[in-house]
Amino acid sequence: MLPYILLSPLVVFIGALSFVPTLDTTVEAFFRVMPLDPPTKFIGLGNFRALFDNPVITTSWVNTAVYVVVGVVLSVVLGTVMALALRQRFRFRGIVLALVILPWALPAVVEAVIWNWIYNPTFGVMNSALHSAHLIGGYHVWLGLDRWLTVVLIEIVQVWQITPLSAVVILAALQSVPSDLYEAARVDGAGPLQQFRRISLPLIRPALAVCTVEALVLSLNIFDQVYVLNGIAPLGSSVMLQTYVQTFENLNFGGGYALSLLITLATALLSVAALALFYRRSEAA
Amino acid sequence: MTTAERVARVATRAAQDRAGRRVPMRRPAKVAGRVITILVILLWSVFPIYWALNTSLSTLSGADSQPSHYVPSPLTGTSYRDILGIGGAGNGVGTQIGRSLLNSAVESGLAMVLTVTIAVFAAYAFARLQFRLKRVIFVSVLATLLLPAYATLIPLYRIMASLGLVNTYLAVILVYTSGFLPLAIWILYNYFNTIPKELEEAAFVDGATPVRALLRVIIPVARPGIAAAGIIAFLLGWAQFLFPLILTTDLSTQPITVIVAALNEQRIVPFTLLMACGVIAAAIPGVVALVLNRYIIGGMTAGSIK
Repeated sequence: MLPYILLSPLVVFIGALSFVPTLDTTVEAFFRVMPLDPPTKFIGLGNFRALFDNPVITTSWVNTAVYVVVGVVLSVVLGTVMALALRQRFRFRGIVLALVILPWALPAVVEAVIWNWIYNPTFGVMNSALHSAHLIGGYHVWLGLDRWLTVVLIEIVQVWQITPLSAVVILAALQSVPSDLYEAARVDGAGPLQQFRRISLPLIRPALAVCTVEALVLSLNIFDQVYVLNGIAPLGSSVMLQTYVQTFENLNFGGGYALSLLITLATALLSVAALALFYRRSEAA
Repeated sequence: MTTAERVARVATRAAQDRAGRRVPMRRPAKVAGRVITILVILLWSVFPIYWALNTSLSTLSGADSQPSHYVPSPLTGTSYRDILGIGGAGNGVGTQIGRSLLNSAVESGLAMVLTVTIAVFAAYAFARLQFRLKRVIFVSVLATLLLPAYATLIPLYRIMASLGLVNTYLAVILVYTSGFLPLAIWILYNYFNTIPKELEEAAFVDGATPVRALLRVIIPVARPGIAAAGIIAFLLGWAQFLFPLILTTDLSTQPITVIVAALNEQRIVPFTLLMACGVIAAAIPGVVALVLNRYIIGGMTAGSIK
């Protein structure tokens, strides 16, 4: 009996506030749910059809795909570079590590407000610095004009926040590689690049898989940064932002449920696919 | 393939590649390269935070001047004085910041306490006790880690609305706790598994019950793991935005993230004042991260390596 007593608060919480809501989303996605305009009734795929006929929603799916690709690639590559640079001991390494994880610990919304000021078209430091370095001729409006530039610059704000997690996870994996492996490789004349490709990379593959899935889930569900830096304009919109707009601005709960269900399924499928890819590769290697 | 086989293969390959290897770089160049890399990493990590601090300590004309001043000139504490209500130019921003800071502290603090308390008992059951439904419950709880929290956004709002809990601390705390529990359990489960069983067995010999063994033996030894779970839950709570955006409707419960986003949206708050608000909102998690970073790193990596 004891185990169940110890677990009962957990089961109640997860059951009532995770499982029941997830089930509810799955069911209600097939209903017309408009709190201000009853009745609620079953409409089959009606919500989904309406979503695919809505150009703003389609735009936000394509944007989200770009958020994911940019986010996963940049955060995993930067995380690996950081981990490699921080692998060996040096003076002040503890302080450097503490500063490196700082962006991960701060609220995404606050970070987005800060970056909004950095990207500011008239007074922002990005224009000023690039202009001083003669990299741009005149000041640019960075956000809200060009779709892909807007999406990439918003994703950079998220990459800034999530890369420390990748760096720390990859660093831990690198440090668990026995150092005599590198020793042996060095004796045999392998250069740094060779050592990375032949020793580090295969052994940190599980860590890379974790970072990829984490970045995938976070970027697929990007909301805070888009809300602050893009607002509800379609240009840089993400699926999660559209879920919010559908539900709490347009008060079309059914549409919001359907979009939630789709993004949840996409998250689950892509996570499993990413893991399968990493595992198959490591079997084959 | 086992690690031993892989090691053997790596060694063979390295040997095969021996021909034509370059001589390793000379030391000074290598050191300089590493120092520059680390400085670039530091600049990338810290510059935006420094920039917010810089702007918050500038006058408005100093912050707006082009090209940008990289240190505040002239240096001024006006923005912070305005928020504290001393200058009187804060236009109620100070009241909003003060109250929302309190709300953030209550919501993320209580969610942390609740999460860690529930997770300690549950993780102990998963790590040490044998029972029939163990695997099923464990896997179902951890499976929610892969679900985006937002899958539950709309139903949670409706549940709280039907219970009349919208715009209460309780709604926010319950939602946070349900979201953070799986991660806290994963961190604690891994930590408990590193504690040798002999420790409790000594207690059992003395006639202790499992609960007593948990309270008297395991919890004191597991303090770093419990700290990691608690700190991470607190930081996650402090950073929440979308959930409180829909669950809280006025200053009695809105956390600082919602207030900072609202001030940003108004487009009339001067950037100097806005950055001061941002610095204040980031100060507590920032200090926690800087001072307690070894627990955080432990918690961040706990789940991912195994």
